[in-house]
Amino acid sequence: MANLKSIKSKILSYKKTGTVTHAMEAVSAVKMRKAQGRALSTRAYARAALRVLSHIAGSVDVERHPLVHKDPSKDMTCIVLVTSDKGLAGSLNAAVLRKVQEFIREHSLSPQNLEFICLGRRGHEFAQRNGYRVLQYETNITDGILELEVRDITNRITALQISGDARKVYMAYTNFRSTFEQEPIMRQILPLRRQILQEIVEGIVPEKGKYSALADSDLRTGAIGGAAAYTMEPDATSVLAEVLPKLANVAVFHALLETKASEHSARMVAMKNATDKARDMAKGLTRTFNKVRQAAITREVSEITSGIEAMR
Amino acid sequence: MAVHPNTFHLTIASVGETRFDGAAVSATLPGTSGQFTVLAHHEPFVTTLKGGTIVVRLNDGEHKEFAIENGVLECSRSRVVVLL
Repeated sequence: MANLKSIKSKILSYKKTGTVTHAMEAVSAVKMRKAQGRALSTRAYARAALRVLSHIAGSVDVERHPLVHKDPSKDMTCIVLVTSDKGLAGSLNAAVLRKVQEFIREHSLSPQNLEFICLGRRGHEFAQRNGYRVLQYETNITDGILELEVRDITNRITALQISGDARKVYMAYTNFRSTFEQEPIMRQILPLRRQILQEIVEGIVPEKGKYSALADSDLRTGAIGGAAAYTMEPDATSVLAEVLPKLANVAVFHALLETKASEHSARMVAMKNATDKARDMAKGLTRTFNKVRQAAITREVSEITSGIEAMR
Repeated sequence: MAVHPNTFHLTIASVGETRFDGAAVSATLPGTSGQFTVLAHHEPFVTTLKGGTIVVRLNDGEHKEFAIENGVLECSRSRVVVLL
């Protein structure tokens, strides 16, 4: 029978753990809401950029632009892997990494024709462990990340494409569907396809929760505009050169925000489970504690009474 | 609210935020090939912008200024969108 003191200290430590995880849960809940709101604010921009593109698409040959044009001569793939820096977020990172591994198997890629750009520590560890070349590694990306900071990363990607080192660029990240549901996603970023952008724009609104009411109607109509005859100034090529990188940038930026929202909600759920579990354990242990205490009292009482009996 | 015949709908948006969204009488922008002003019913066109200041004149005669680094302007019959 365990002694009273050790049980008591165990109960205390469970309670303390519960308090900590509860606090982490609350923090993640707030951060999640913020991240969700930010992810949504990119929507207006993405939609407008897409509309500009669809207008231009009517008047120029978009396909010839290096960001869109696919050069099959070079068989290089680059994966932008977005993960969190820290754990304690359930199966969030594991799910993305599994998706990447599946992708690698499917396309039979090897360290010779696959490179990584890692945003987040977990993804970097994965790439290094498996011996892949890491082109760029960013860690400590804050929740309040600005679009300007993302431009660095996007420029890196688009430069690869434009310099003729043509390759396919994919992004692996976590899509935020709802607080309880995040799905790992592999999405092609380059060569840029209108369909991909449309998917991104539509995917911006979460399915459930606070912002879900904004889905549908205005999104669909906004995305496809009539291709009126536009005057391009100074010329179509330079306009495209301006718009397409912006679109690529929106795609990357959005994936980052999406991952942030997922990370926080996954962490919130994981911490909630931990809090509940800690409470359960403390409850069970308190019960054991009371039983042991009661047994000790009973034993002492019977010892005393039997002692008295013996003295008579 | 009826739309004033001499105004147009102007949106100035960067990725993170919408900096302006509403009716405007005119907007003066720094285009890559020179400064220009857009009024209502402008012909549809697309152009790139360089660093400078966008001056928006509102219906009530007030001005609003926005500093930009670069951007793209899209003007269709009904609205003008500036992407930064």
